Amino acid sequence: MPFSLSTPKDPAEAFRLLVAGRPGETALLAGGTALLRDLDEGQNHATHLISLRKLPWNRHAWKGEALEIGSTEPLRTLENDPLVRARLPGLHQAIEAVGSVALRHRATLGGNLGRASPASDLIPVLLALEALVNLRSPRGQRVVDIEQFIISSRQTAREPDELIESVSIPRALPSAYVWQRVRPSNDISQVGVAVALGPPPGRWRVALGGVSPRPVRLPEAEEALVSRRPSEAEVELAAQAAARHAPFVTDRRATEGYRRRLVTTLVRRAVRSTAEHRARRAGPKGGR
Amino acid sequence: MIRSDLAAKLAGRTTFGADLDRPGMLWAALVLSPVAHGRIRRVDLSKVRKAPGVVVAITAPDVEKLLPKGSGDPERPVFPTREVLYRHQPIAAIAARTLSEARAAALLAEVDIDPLPIVDDIETVFPEWPEPSKKPNSAVVAHVHARHGDLEAAFREAEFVHSETYRTAGVHQVALETHACLAEVEGAIWRVTTSTQSPFSVREDLSSQLGLPESAVVVEGSWVGGGFGGKTSALLEPFALLLAAAAGAPVRLALSYREEFLLGRTTLPCVVRIESSVAKGRVTGRRVRMLLDCGSTMPSRDFATGYAITFLLGPYNVDTFEVEGYGLRTNKPPFGPHRAPLIPQLTFVIDSHMDSIARRLSVDPIAFRRAHVWHEGDSTALGQRIGPSGIDSALERAEKTVLRWRGNAPREHGFGIGVGYWSTGVSAGGEARLRLTPQELVIEQGEREIGSGSVVRGLVAVAERSLGLPASAIRVAYSDTASAPFDSGVFGSRTVGALGQAVQKASEELVRELEARTGTKGSLRLEFDGRSIRAVASGLRRPIAELLTPEELNEGGLKAHGKFYGPPMKFDESRVVAGSFYPVADVVGAVHLAEVSVDRETGAVKVHRYAAFHDVGVALDMAMVRAQVEGGVVMGLGTALTEESLWSSEGSLRNPGLLDYRLPRLNDVPPIEVYPVEGFPGAGPFGAKGVGEPPIIPVPAAVANAVADATGARVFELPLSPERVARALKLL
Repeated sequence: MPFSLSTPKDPAEAFRLLVAGRPGETALLAGGTALLRDLDEGQNHATHLISLRKLPWNRHAWKGEALEIGSTEPLRTLENDPLVRARLPGLHQAIEAVGSVALRHRATLGGNLGRASPASDLIPVLLALEALVNLRSPRGQRVVDIEQFIISSRQTAREPDELIESVSIPRALPSAYVWQRVRPSNDISQVGVAVALGPPPGRWRVALGGVSPRPVRLPEAEEALVSRRPSEAEVELAAQAAARHAPFVTDRRATEGYRRRLVTTLVRRAVRSTAEHRARRAGPKGGR
Repeated sequence: MIRSDLAAKLAGRTTFGADLDRPGMLWAALVLSPVAHGRIRRVDLSKVRKAPGVVVAITAPDVEKLLPKGSGDPERPVFPTREVLYRHQPIAAIAARTLSEARAAALLAEVDIDPLPIVDDIETVFPEWPEPSKKPNSAVVAHVHARHGDLEAAFREAEFVHSETYRTAGVHQVALETHACLAEVEGAIWRVTTSTQSPFSVREDLSSQLGLPESAVVVEGSWVGGGFGGKTSALLEPFALLLAAAAGAPVRLALSYREEFLLGRTTLPCVVRIESSVAKGRVTGRRVRMLLDCGSTMPSRDFATGYAITFLLGPYNVDTFEVEGYGLRTNKPPFGPHRAPLIPQLTFVIDSHMDSIARRLSVDPIAFRRAHVWHEGDSTALGQRIGPSGIDSALERAEKTVLRWRGNAPREHGFGIGVGYWSTGVSAGGEARLRLTPQELVIEQGEREIGSGSVVRGLVAVAERSLGLPASAIRVAYSDTASAPFDSGVFGSRTVGALGQAVQKASEELVRELEARTGTKGSLRLEFDGRSIRAVASGLRRPIAELLTPEELNEGGLKAHGKFYGPPMKFDESRVVAGSFYPVADVVGAVHLAEVSVDRETGAVKVHRYAAFHDVGVALDMAMVRAQVEGGVVMGLGTALTEESLWSSEGSLRNPGLLDYRLPRLNDVPPIEVYPVEGFPGAGPFGAKGVGEPPIIPVPAAVANAVADATGARVFELPLSPERVARALKLL
């Protein structure tokens, strides 16, 4: 279907267009890797696209150990930042899991959050890292916890006149993201598991994708993990808790039963990978 | 040798079906059925016709007004008149000034259909399964049955009978270019330019479907962006031609990628019960029963069922057997060919089964196959004699490679063999004309290059060998069905084997004529110095310009005509109980070896190394053979591991796109080693055997057997998705 395209150069112009547009007819275009497909297949009937690519939000910056990621920064740029890999291994693994290299040159974190897919590879790790979403509108700015931002499948706390400006990750943490798919490259994950360790030391966060209707934190699994280097028993309890409590469903990508079986393995692998990574970073003398 | 089509393709100058353009051309769109089965009450196009840009819109009642004879084939109406048979069946067509206007107008069609119950599952609609049908079943559209020997005695006297049930999924061809054509109707001539593997088959389809004499239908092939069996017959051409007739203007119709999945004729699901009696380490008898999903309608359903089923006996000597197959009608698009239609799936069945018996007997799976495999002089199940066959030689080489690979692989890796064969379509005929000018040799023929190289390179290689000329002096000419010599088309791996023989015969005729003109005998060759061609024999060296008559020099050169129509083939009809069976033409074998690892906690399979041993007869161009084998292996890995059409219980394809229809990605493809096995000549020119389809055939079997070797667990269903492997590993 034909559509018109506006490319505002600053947020003020973007807001004007956003407010002038009618809901259902206007769509925000970030990387376009999902939107253009939806338009092509008649899943989205927007006739006016507002491209965010000229807005000054295609950058990321470290403030000490905190990372602020502009919403239109291409994922590939983040992936190529060696500090992202070193300080936020889980985020790096999640970015690498998204589509293909070519796609990551276009795809953005803002676009992924705005779409709020239950199968997102990025939302679980942002949940585990307790990221904050910075929203902006003509009314001003507000900060929303990622947990509150994602409401349901394709539903977020963003108001119609708001744009996602950036995402803040408060601190560098040992973390991991592991996934399972029918095809390893460029596929949608059947289950994705993100974990992050601390603070405080020994406090684990576990989040899942491939669940319904939105990626979730899993307190039952988190509570089973009580030490910085969890014992086999702790890990097993956490894995079992994940299998019991995760809101899995059957869809065309996997059955609920397979997802429950998978999640035990993936929780085990994610926790072990994080604990071992942390131990390696701490050096031969062991934990700090 | 660099392919002559390469430079234009790399530069983006090649005109594919989707690039066709004419001044004043209209763009077409189709109205697709919203239900999979139902009685049509009303198709109202009045809003469509008033929509912006729309020039014409047509549906069933309009067709008779547009056709000279008022109707076409009542068995194959262009639009359904009373009943829709599958979801997304085209029920009307629109031509508008732009594509977006045509597509927007298509959404305005008012279609009123009373839904009827649908058949989507072949096992549900066949309650006796796995026993034979006991009472008439309206879903059965084909029934084939053959047997030989005393199977009951073999089963009675066996040490054991090994019984298994296998299921396979539907797969798409996924050519990069969708179906696309451009239609023009001028006077009595209905002309279509189309992306097809066979212009002459499209002409035949159009002639019968529209009730037009063949002389009134002209089909011109465009360059084809991949066929893989999906472009062997007419699909869009009738709609485009009727729109062009109605509008009085050229009309272009091309499918979107989503429509390509929804409307394409593809392989559909199949279920097989296979039982073998075993005594003294040998298979003494075999019974197979097969249910095949034929989709809503299928002119060639007998062929699909009767041709495929004997492959379930494998390239193995089993003289006592019974095969019985049923083609079943379901509310899906018609079954259609896909590179060696259904044979990779059925080879997965027979060769998993052979592997499984060998493991039950605790004998080496390769040795077990070698004890049964066909050699020259053996017979097929229907009693046809096998010509020179390199399968055992390929097995021997695979055996050595397994030993070598096992020696340097991690202990948990598994190794699997897949043994497959194909019968290349050399019985389907074709003709070629050669024109020798002082500067070049032109091959005039009726095929189009579909990407494999069989035309641009294969036919040229035959002329090269026949005449001594280098490829740089040889040009392939393409034309429409009104002027090209007849050819059956690009299918069945037949281009080099069948049309190549026509080129070879025409080359021989050229040589004979030049020998007569020069008084030489038996040794004349042609040479090319970059500018002009010379005839060379002992004591002779003359420019072609001196050997042609003035008329020949004026009228395109010295001409020669070669025809090849395969000799009639017979099989032992006494073995047939019911239905249509088909002879095999030229048996071509292949043995593949896969090395895999399996994640024991998730079921994920990774293929680490792959080797393909191919009985190619004589490799006319090894680089082309290698390319075909590599491409076939990659395609087969999709069938083996990730590709699967998913149908909802309402008869909708749930994954009409590349997001959830998973082709192999290059990152997931292992290194592939290709080994030609030569010395077993086939029916083609110089002993060449077809290599287009054989490389896809053994892949699913090789991968499944490697998974069984790595884990001890057998997967009985394609594709081997992580979840299916996890179930086989009893993880859930």
